[in-house]
Amino acid sequence: MRNFLDLILEPLNELFTKFKEFVPNFLAMLVILIIGIFVALIIKRFLVKFLAAINFDSWSDRMGFTKIMRKGDLWNKPSAILGAIVFWVLIIVTLMSSMNALQIPAIDNLVGQFFSYVPRILSAAIILIVGYLLTGFISRATLITAANSGFHYARILAKATHTLLLVLILAMVMEQLNIAPSIVLAAFSIIFGGIVIALAIAFGVGGIESARRMIEKESVPKHEEGEKDEIEHI
Amino acid sequence: MKTVTFRTEVREQLELIGQADIIVGIPSFNNARTIGHVVRAVQAGLAKYFPDHKAVVVNSDGGSSDGTMDVVNNTAIDDFNAILLHHRVEPISKIAFPYSGIPGKGSAFRTIFEIAEALGAKACVVVDSDLRSITPEWIELLIKPVLIGGYDYVSPLYHRHKFDGTITNSIVYPLTRALYGKRVRQPIGGDFGFSGNLAQFYLTKDVWESDVARFGIDIWMTTTAIANGFKVTQSFLGAKIHDAKDPGSDLSNMLYQVISATFALMETYAEVWAPVRSSKPVPTFGFEYTVGLEQVNVNTERMLNAFREGLGNLGEIWVDILGAGDFSEVKRLGALADEEFHFPISLWTRVVYDYALAFHKKKLPVEHLIKSITPLYIGKTASFILQAKDMGQQEAEAEIEKLCMEFENDKDYLVTNWK
Repeated sequence: MRNFLDLILEPLNELFTKFKEFVPNFLAMLVILIIGIFVALIIKRFLVKFLAAINFDSWSDRMGFTKIMRKGDLWNKPSAILGAIVFWVLIIVTLMSSMNALQIPAIDNLVGQFFSYVPRILSAAIILIVGYLLTGFISRATLITAANSGFHYARILAKATHTLLLVLILAMVMEQLNIAPSIVLAAFSIIFGGIVIALAIAFGVGGIESARRMIEKESVPKHEEGEKDEIEHI
Repeated sequence: MKTVTFRTEVREQLELIGQADIIVGIPSFNNARTIGHVVRAVQAGLAKYFPDHKAVVVNSDGGSSDGTMDVVNNTAIDDFNAILLHHRVEPISKIAFPYSGIPGKGSAFRTIFEIAEALGAKACVVVDSDLRSITPEWIELLIKPVLIGGYDYVSPLYHRHKFDGTITNSIVYPLTRALYGKRVRQPIGGDFGFSGNLAQFYLTKDVWESDVARFGIDIWMTTTAIANGFKVTQSFLGAKIHDAKDPGSDLSNMLYQVISATFALMETYAEVWAPVRSSKPVPTFGFEYTVGLEQVNVNTERMLNAFREGLGNLGEIWVDILGAGDFSEVKRLGALADEEFHFPISLWTRVVYDYALAFHKKKLPVEHLIKSITPLYIGKTASFILQAKDMGQQEAEAEIEKLCMEFENDKDYLVTNWK
């Protein structure tokens, strides 16, 4: 009888002991989570106020970020969206840290991997933002220079420049995030190489007459095009 | 503020000269072919009209490789009798040296201002080194209003072909007049007279590491003089004929340089120009006469095609700057046949003001913003040429006057949206 009772009580005792060991960790996790959420809310509020004070929304409009957000069906102000992004990033970090408090090896491993991946995310974000701004700048410069030079296909040239640069930036971001690197490399090579080959075939075979006309038009000396302007603009 | 450090030989020359009443500055860069005539005209003007004043000719050179400075040093009038000067003429000192600072006309002028300050000059003149139409009378007309009339700034007034100076006629003059309330007809003329006091005032401004030093010095000098309450006048100099630059070469660059400098000055003097609501003429010296001018050939068909191409390629940028309403008016112009083409002055005024506002609000990088106006400017110029082709000089000038009044009347639009 005694042995029977021991057989029933021992696992219960073990469970209770493990539960006793687990409860403080669980409570620590809850405390970290609650404090983390509270801090994230405060940081979000201050960040949104700060962004409003430095006119972040108008800067975002000028840089074209607002346009991208609207295309992605995000209709809040850019400062509110950035505030929300920062808030949720902090929540994820808090969650990971709080899970660390449970001291479960499998979870510890996961948390370690997460934190070692964060620098890659940050550098990928920087590459994306800076790359996007540069892409816009270069394609706009191409458009205006080509248009002012009288090049009829200035818009197409600018669009092509923009697309090619964007593909390059996205490939760099994917490579930074280590997302299927061999596939990204192959896809990038195929896209870039394909575009170049397509252009060569289009002009060399399909558009040979158009290409000849374009080249002849661009290479004709200005004085043969008609009467020269003699205005002194200044 | 940091001042220019003169080379030893220049400092020695300045010490030798000691003091001067008049400084004539000639900035140059590879102008050996033309600067000789300019120096002779300056020397004759100083000898004829200011024989009792101590004068120095300063050639501020940008590092010429064609012997420009040697030409300056070796140029002299051989026979003063030929210009009807029979009294004893004092030699005029000359200094020719490379300027220091950022390459550009502004740095050259800064050196001239520094020398004027060092020598305690009462009156200064700057003239371009490629002038072919300069006469000794230019010196009298640019200096006497300062020395005798008590003016601080003398702007040039040239007699130009009705189709020349279109950037001045359609943008800089109407805009400067509406903003600052003074009818200085050629604010970026290139040849100016100013007092020693004004030269010293220019030196107090910290602009010599900016675009003013590179290309914005002319409009900067005019605007600074007007906006800071200096006494401004203008003198009729006749025709301005200088070395032909390739017309239309890099027009967008020209527009960028002139307009960016003008808009940047709007930022500096916003509180000065905002309350101004009308303009007053400035006194004009000199005897105005009609000058025979060479015919100017233009190809309006090509200009209108350039405008239409610009509309097709830059439409997305224009709608962002001009707004949907004005852009739709511009779009309507693109559909007109060449014979019917007319760019309304009210629309052009709003275009210029919209670009000024876009500059103020930093809608685009400055160079992209201003260079995108090029096809619009070409369209406006073509419209003016078509309208004025059978007009005389005075009729064409009356059209420019109408444009200026439009700028003045529509100024509230600019002021209201500036804040």
